[in-house]
Amino acid sequence: MLQCIFLLSDSGEVMLEKQLTGHRVDRSICDWFWDQSISQGDSFKPVIASPTHYLFQVVQEGITFLACTQVEMPPLMGIEFLCRVADVLSEYLGGLNEDVIKDNFVIVYELLDEMIDNGFPLTTEPNILREMIAPPNIVSKVLSVVTGNSSNVSDTLPGATGSCVPWRAADPKYANNEVYVDLVEEMDAVINRDGVLVKCEIYGEVQVNSHLSGLPDLTLSFANPSILDDVRFHPCVRFRPWESHQLLSFVPPDGEFKLMSYRVKKLKSTPIYVKPQLTSDAGKCRVNVLVGIKNDPGKTIDSITLQFQLPPCILSADLTSNHGTVNILSNKICSWSIGRIPKDKAPSLTGTLVLETELERLHVFPTFRVGFRIMGVALSGLQIDKLDLKTVPNRLYKGFRALTRAGEFEVRS
Amino acid sequence: MAPPAQSQRSPSPSQPSGKSEVSDLKLQLRQLAGSRAPGVDDSKRELFKKVISYMTVGIDVSSLFGEMVMCSATSDIVLKKMCYLYVGNYAKVNPDLALLTINFLQRDCNDEDPMIRGLALRSLCSLRVANFVEYLVGPLGSGLKDSNSYVRMVAVIGVLKLYHISASTCVDADFPSILKHLMLNDSDTQVVANCLSALQEIWSAEASTSEEASREREALISKPVIYYLLNREFSEWAQCLVLELVTKYVPSDSSEIFDIMNLLEDRLQHANGAVVLATIKVFLHLTLSMTDVHQQVYERIKAPLLTLVSSGSPEQSYAVLSHLHLLVMRAPYIFSSDYKHFYCQYNEPSYVKRLKLEMLTAVANESNTYEIVTELCEYAANVDIPIARESIRAVGKIALQQYDVNAIVDRLLQFLEMEKDYVTAEALVLVKDLLRKYPQWSHDCIAVVGNISSKNVQEPKAKAALIWMLGEYSQDMQDAPYILESLVENWDEEHSAEVRLHLLTAVMKCFFKRPPETQNALGTALAAGIADFHQDVHDRALFYYRILQYNVSVAERVVNPPKQAVSVFADTQSSEIKDRIFDEFNSLSVVYQKPSYMFTDKEHRGPFEFSDELGNLSIGGEAADNVVSAQRVEENDKDLLLTTSEKEETRGSSNNGSAYTAPYDGSSTSVFALQTHIESAISNPTAADHSPQASLAIDDLLGLGLPAAPAPPSPQLKLNTTAALDPSTFQHKWRQLPVALSQEYSVSPQGVAALTAPQALLRHMQSHSIHCIASGGQSPNFKFFFFAQKAEEASNYLVECIISTSSAKAQIKIKADDQSTSQAFSTLFQSALSKFGIP
Repeated sequence: MLQCIFLLSDSGEVMLEKQLTGHRVDRSICDWFWDQSISQGDSFKPVIASPTHYLFQVVQEGITFLACTQVEMPPLMGIEFLCRVADVLSEYLGGLNEDVIKDNFVIVYELLDEMIDNGFPLTTEPNILREMIAPPNIVSKVLSVVTGNSSNVSDTLPGATGSCVPWRAADPKYANNEVYVDLVEEMDAVINRDGVLVKCEIYGEVQVNSHLSGLPDLTLSFANPSILDDVRFHPCVRFRPWESHQLLSFVPPDGEFKLMSYRVKKLKSTPIYVKPQLTSDAGKCRVNVLVGIKNDPGKTIDSITLQFQLPPCILSADLTSNHGTVNILSNKICSWSIGRIPKDKAPSLTGTLVLETELERLHVFPTFRVGFRIMGVALSGLQIDKLDLKTVPNRLYKGFRALTRAGEFEVRS
Repeated sequence: MAPPAQSQRSPSPSQPSGKSEVSDLKLQLRQLAGSRAPGVDDSKRELFKKVISYMTVGIDVSSLFGEMVMCSATSDIVLKKMCYLYVGNYAKVNPDLALLTINFLQRDCNDEDPMIRGLALRSLCSLRVANFVEYLVGPLGSGLKDSNSYVRMVAVIGVLKLYHISASTCVDADFPSILKHLMLNDSDTQVVANCLSALQEIWSAEASTSEEASREREALISKPVIYYLLNREFSEWAQCLVLELVTKYVPSDSSEIFDIMNLLEDRLQHANGAVVLATIKVFLHLTLSMTDVHQQVYERIKAPLLTLVSSGSPEQSYAVLSHLHLLVMRAPYIFSSDYKHFYCQYNEPSYVKRLKLEMLTAVANESNTYEIVTELCEYAANVDIPIARESIRAVGKIALQQYDVNAIVDRLLQFLEMEKDYVTAEALVLVKDLLRKYPQWSHDCIAVVGNISSKNVQEPKAKAALIWMLGEYSQDMQDAPYILESLVENWDEEHSAEVRLHLLTAVMKCFFKRPPETQNALGTALAAGIADFHQDVHDRALFYYRILQYNVSVAERVVNPPKQAVSVFADTQSSEIKDRIFDEFNSLSVVYQKPSYMFTDKEHRGPFEFSDELGNLSIGGEAADNVVSAQRVEENDKDLLLTTSEKEETRGSSNNGSAYTAPYDGSSTSVFALQTHIESAISNPTAADHSPQASLAIDDLLGLGLPAAPAPPSPQLKLNTTAALDPSTFQHKWRQLPVALSQEYSVSPQGVAALTAPQALLRHMQSHSIHCIASGGQSPNFKFFFFAQKAEEASNYLVECIISTSSAKAQIKIKADDQSTSQAFSTLFQSALSKFGIP
């Protein structure tokens, strides 16, 4: 039971306030909250107790979504809901920032009105909300000029609220029926200073973009579903076919949605290697970092980046690379963007760090965070076998793509 | 980070101060109100937008109420929505003007567009003005029968809103039974879910006065209703509500349990984390009594929880992780093969890392210790110093859990040789704990510790640990007496009372082991200690001094008893409290790591909570726990202060940010425990007069002529200093016993001044052996429940004490097992209270 939702800008200003129950929550709680947020900095927890209320906060794109309650409730419900609000707003407004919210606060109020009543979440499904409140996009603005209908609310109520597929709005009609399935994977890995893989795991999502007429019934199968360690489904996925035959059988929502997320544990290799070497001597530390392809995934690895925080005891740093650009940002983060690895040489970063005067050698070792992207490959090895429609429309296009990028990819030194 | 914005109450200079702009708007609105010109809606919309934006930034635009209502006659739904928003915001403060809106809202409730009907009804119910309720009943009644589910959905919540404005109107209109009918028959599941949520709230509130309502509430968790709800397809949020209800259902046999679990199993794969957690709660609760299945449930829920942690935003991860933490602490062995999931990532927030470190510590067992400790040692070199410290502590905790600690001890000793102050400091504390548990390692450790220069150790905890080791192993460390002596010489520069206390004890210990070398230092230390301004240090020095005077061998027995290795260190949280938190799985309790009675108010607890009078206050469950654990420590180890003061720190940190702190904290316990200790040592009849047989001339040694302390006036009634009573027994007794005595005392002005928070008095009363079980309130009114026990027999005194600092009066109600002594107790209580605030 949430009692109030506030939207705060990145400077702590209350942009919007939505009281949900008869117990009004005074705005002054935001001042308290902001003071705490400044004094606690990084260690500010998402769920805290103020002197009068329990607060949930979610920060997305610089906007703080703050919800207050005085009753015991599932914390994840509060947080999930705020995350959904943030997602829906971001989708509606094409991103989040102070100006866009202030320009569209009427829409934000309208959305909140439909998403939560008396403190209890109702509809957070973007497809349904779009039926009730039109997004403020250019198309609808143009339309309203042309048709003279200036309301951004559709005349009809969504038919789906009562149907058995609550995620799908009334039968859409498409001239071209299209469905795209993307495998998007993130690799999380920890590699220790001896180059040993401490932990390596893939978190993946099956993202579907469907534009299909009527009430399509889809079945998606994988060539090797047994590699998946754990899965989570969109509510549209029927559980039994998955349990018995690992088939994803579902009636999709219209448009983009996340069909499934999964985890693959205990991977044995990473596509690239990073070998940092730090040797200290007499108040200086020599740095040498090598990056290269380890197990060629068969596709180009691009957008390779490497970042690390210079330890606070370092006075100055002189770092250069034989490929790509090296920047030292104001907050002492060293960022090396490599891009693609050239064929003829292995990129390396070399240089020296000058330590504080009393220090002989470095004893706080930085962690290197690696970024990369590989188009066309799902590194977990998961492969889509086929996608079937129960009743095939006359024109159907099916598209499949895969992408892997680095998630939390860390190399210790 | 940017500086905080200016307080919202004073508009910043860039924003309009309001007055002229508002009157300008008023004029424009008035012009538009009657106009029927084309395009008028667009201009209205611009104006409304301006009004709403002023409202949003906190400017008072309530003076436009009349104009806004006049302009609201429109078919434009966005205009309507803005108008509803405005009206909803200001109706409560302008009830007279709000009456103007009733008319058009009622008309809109009959609009042909269901969207408008719904919105109007929602706005009508959100006005929340008490004397409008009569206008609500009609529209709500027809809303509940509306053919469109959207309107019904709004109407159901409207009924709940009406109930909160005027419960009697709602019940008289028979709305609850209409809702019940809708809940069981409506075709739209969102309507059903809203009915359920409304009925839960209404019936719970009614249950205290109406028997029927409490029967209805019980009926919600009956088999037919539960099965009906389980078999309908709800939206994700409504599912959370239903699942929460299912946890309260008690199935009749195990086949029913399996049916429910089979039905719900797919929810563990749900994309919404809230649904997954609610399902897990159902599974855990259903199988509590079936040990084997309960284990299997843990195995089953492991993967979904771990997936939830790695997907989603950091905020979601944290909430899930808190729950995972609870489960890992309950059944670490189940998660021991998944330890890699608890490895910290570089840029995780520190509170996440902290939870992970605790879990890593818990899951460590024979097979994975090596890898976990290796990982933890990586963090010791971390840039994040607090986490580096925690990691070292975690290594130490693992060492204390394990039987095979060779490798870990080596690691710890390596820490000591690292050059970083904080690493050395943490490692010292750990080595001290290790030695208490594994005295057989003393040889290796002492060799390394001996090399540490005490000048490099600055942190009080580490210094205290070092001093403890110097005292304890003074026979093995060549220069222990001299290091101690140099520390004693710098007595005045030592700011931490804890270190000074340890120094006193260590010098004493050293003295008994190597008297000639230490005699000098002891004299200096005792003199400095007695002159110390800190009460505890002073008392301990004085106590040592007296006991040395009385009998040196007794002193040795007290200070240097034969030590047993500590087998188990006292836990900071009792298992009882952990169970309570577990019962409240999927709630805020888990995140705060406290059961909800410790932080929520009675009126705000969930709809199904039963609570009684005591529940309103923060019950000292933690207190009872504290006392018990203190006793446990006492049995295990005479060196009380180390553990209790550590507890103080952990408790202190866990209390941060919580508005309602439990009444006891570690420091009071330690003082109190020390006193007990002393009393048990001295309370033989000869203690009062200085024994002439003291074999060392300590008076000479000190060169101080101390006046003989006056014997304390012993009250006739002696109270047990270590009395313990758990809250439930207290409640039981409080209900059972008649009031023996009811009195009003006045509180001294000093007492009033000192009573800024309930905690202050608790500590004071505790020093008089009167313990607090619950306390609450804020200045000027405080309420306490105290208890005390007779020293010789298990006879309890229970006290309710209401203190008003504004009138400087205390109202006391005493209940006693033994009525005859209640007067004596009252005197004692009064005298204890009268001393409060007087230093």
